[in-house]
Amino acid sequence: MGAESVTVCFTGNPNCGKTTLFNAYTGAGKKTANWPGVTVALSEGSLMHRGRLVHLVDTPGIYSLDPYTMEETVTRQCIRDQKADVIIHVADALLLERSLFLTMQLLAEGKPLVLALNMMDLVRERGMDIDIGRLSRLLGGIPVIPVSARRRTGLEELMDAAVEAARARRMADGSGRFVSGARYSVYRSHSAHSDGPAYGDGPSGSGGSWHGPVSARELHDRARRFAAACIRYRGSPAQNKRNTDPSVGRVLDSFTDRADRLLAHPVWGIPIFFGILALVFFLTFSAGGFLRGYFERGLAMLSAYILELLGRCRVSGWIISLVSDGILAGVGGVLGFLPNISILFLALAFLEDSGYMARIAWIMNGTMASAGLSGKAVLPVLLGFGCTVPAVLASRILENEKDRRRTILMTPFMSCSARLPVYVLFTGMFFPEASAAVIGGLYVLGVLAALGTAWAAWKAGREEPYEDILLMELPEYRWPDLGTVVSCAWERVRDYLEKAGTTIFLASLVLWFFLHLGPQGAAWDVSESFAAVLGRGLAPVLVPAGLGAWQTAVALLTGLSAKEVVVSSFFILYGAGNRGAGGGHEALAASLAAGGFTGASALALLVFCLLYTPCAAAMGAIKQETGSLRWTVGLAVYQLFLAWICAVLVYQAASRIPGLG
Amino acid sequence: MRLCDCAAGKLYMIRTVTAEETIVRRLEALGLVEGTKVHILMKKQDGSLIAAFQGTRLALGKKIAGAIEAEDCEEHGR
Repeated sequence: MGAESVTVCFTGNPNCGKTTLFNAYTGAGKKTANWPGVTVALSEGSLMHRGRLVHLVDTPGIYSLDPYTMEETVTRQCIRDQKADVIIHVADALLLERSLFLTMQLLAEGKPLVLALNMMDLVRERGMDIDIGRLSRLLGGIPVIPVSARRRTGLEELMDAAVEAARARRMADGSGRFVSGARYSVYRSHSAHSDGPAYGDGPSGSGGSWHGPVSARELHDRARRFAAACIRYRGSPAQNKRNTDPSVGRVLDSFTDRADRLLAHPVWGIPIFFGILALVFFLTFSAGGFLRGYFERGLAMLSAYILELLGRCRVSGWIISLVSDGILAGVGGVLGFLPNISILFLALAFLEDSGYMARIAWIMNGTMASAGLSGKAVLPVLLGFGCTVPAVLASRILENEKDRRRTILMTPFMSCSARLPVYVLFTGMFFPEASAAVIGGLYVLGVLAALGTAWAAWKAGREEPYEDILLMELPEYRWPDLGTVVSCAWERVRDYLEKAGTTIFLASLVLWFFLHLGPQGAAWDVSESFAAVLGRGLAPVLVPAGLGAWQTAVALLTGLSAKEVVVSSFFILYGAGNRGAGGGHEALAASLAAGGFTGASALALLVFCLLYTPCAAAMGAIKQETGSLRWTVGLAVYQLFLAWICAVLVYQAASRIPGLG
Repeated sequence: MRLCDCAAGKLYMIRTVTAEETIVRRLEALGLVEGTKVHILMKKQDGSLIAAFQGTRLALGKKIAGAIEAEDCEEHGR
């Protein structure tokens, strides 16, 4: 008998470590988050187990098999699909009672089932133990395997049990029934007293109302009895139950509760959150800036080397320019803010895995309600400070399509990492003593614009008053798992590299052509290129904003490929040479001043950069997530318009201030 | 009384949940059904709260808290 392949379906509650376990088997870098809704698609992977090919499918976290939400429908489909040979239900052993609720529903599906009790190491640490044998018998004899996804224990045994369960089924009578009569009788007993269709009536028939035979309350009671029968406390009963309130069934005053008294405090929660955020930003800017220096130096060395090589090969001038100003500049543009983005995403992943991120939804729920959004919208918004692309993708957390779109509306206003070089350059040149304050102000302005836009969209949509239907599980606080944090952050960085990286790189190339080709053929002087022609056409519009030079117009245009490109464009267009070279900034400042660019213009430019249309990569992500080209274009136009108005207002006001005008 | 009118730090027993099907089911699946006793860990002025029971902690928005009828356990000597 050949070793046929087996398909294993992973199910379980959110936060139970299911995806960490899945990753441990497949080595994949899929997201793990404490937010229902982040994984709404199936993840797949495979591995060789004792010479047999095993396909693994990871389903979204669910609390029950009710077909009321997307996650549950997707999971049910996966299970009922004939291809799934065995189900592994990953359960948090610390929440045995709640987990068994789902286990029993899964049993009723009539497919081979294995229960994986995750976090068994924590159970033992807390002086408890679970009678595996008894639990298995109570559940009709299904294999119950203790594992620890983080410590990587029990993984072999689990896969052995799963494969064995799948194989055993195949040796059954072919009716599709589960193997042992004993196991099947557990399923049967659920519907013994029913006069309606059995819940999830097996492989044949269509599913009736799952409430038919057994009510949720009865199922919970049964789960409670099973759990109580199997949990053992080490040490004296008095010693262990001292802190437990039996009527509520929970440990009182645990670390999590004490921490929440501070972190989830109705009044202090918000300032503490802002403090933590400030710390994250500080890390991002300082460590990110530090790494960025190395990146730029490395890139400069690489560029020099390549150019020297090309020079030696006597390659023609325009190719050298293409490589240097097009390709290398493009790659530099992509990699330039990778350190910032990575650190920010690592920090956010750390907060997610610790359990704090869920608290943020609770803390900010009230504030977001004023813009008609749930507190859950904060995560995508926070990601927007790194890069708009992963932020747009993270909007999937919002269950409602309208809420998702309004969250997406907010993301481009968060000052992404790419805008930082623009901020740093111009505040450095025009407001050196106040640069931190100006940059901080820009960030705040972005947040306000985001909230304002979301609010306006909500009101304009004439929707009903906002209903606060936040329903969020707050997991226990735990020290984040390094592997999980890194893989979660990497997933987002990869989104950025794949989507943003390719778009930005291509856009830089296109830009190069626009800057070096003109109506009269090759244009060595940028002022004769297509870009310049376009710039001259646009410049008059920007005059009221103090940005009426064609070079500025072109530089802003180049920002459509990536905001960071605005910086290099300014250097190229104002003939200030290599920006890394000593004296580069002064030369640029001088060149700008000569063209009538004042402090007020700088402010206007900063505001314009903050608000206007996001880069092509972000636009692509937005189009993909909203599925509407019209909506995406509408957003682009809105932002352009808003940016223009604000830039004009800022310039007109600021130029009246002596010293700036 | 409705859960949104309850006091933080006290124990309540759930009586009924009157809300849209999806929400009722989700609460049921989490274990919040008639007879469940919950500790109110935290409460905000607008009525939203954090309820804890059986090792689960749930943050509930104002509307959901308002849809849950519960009775004070201490008052009723349970």
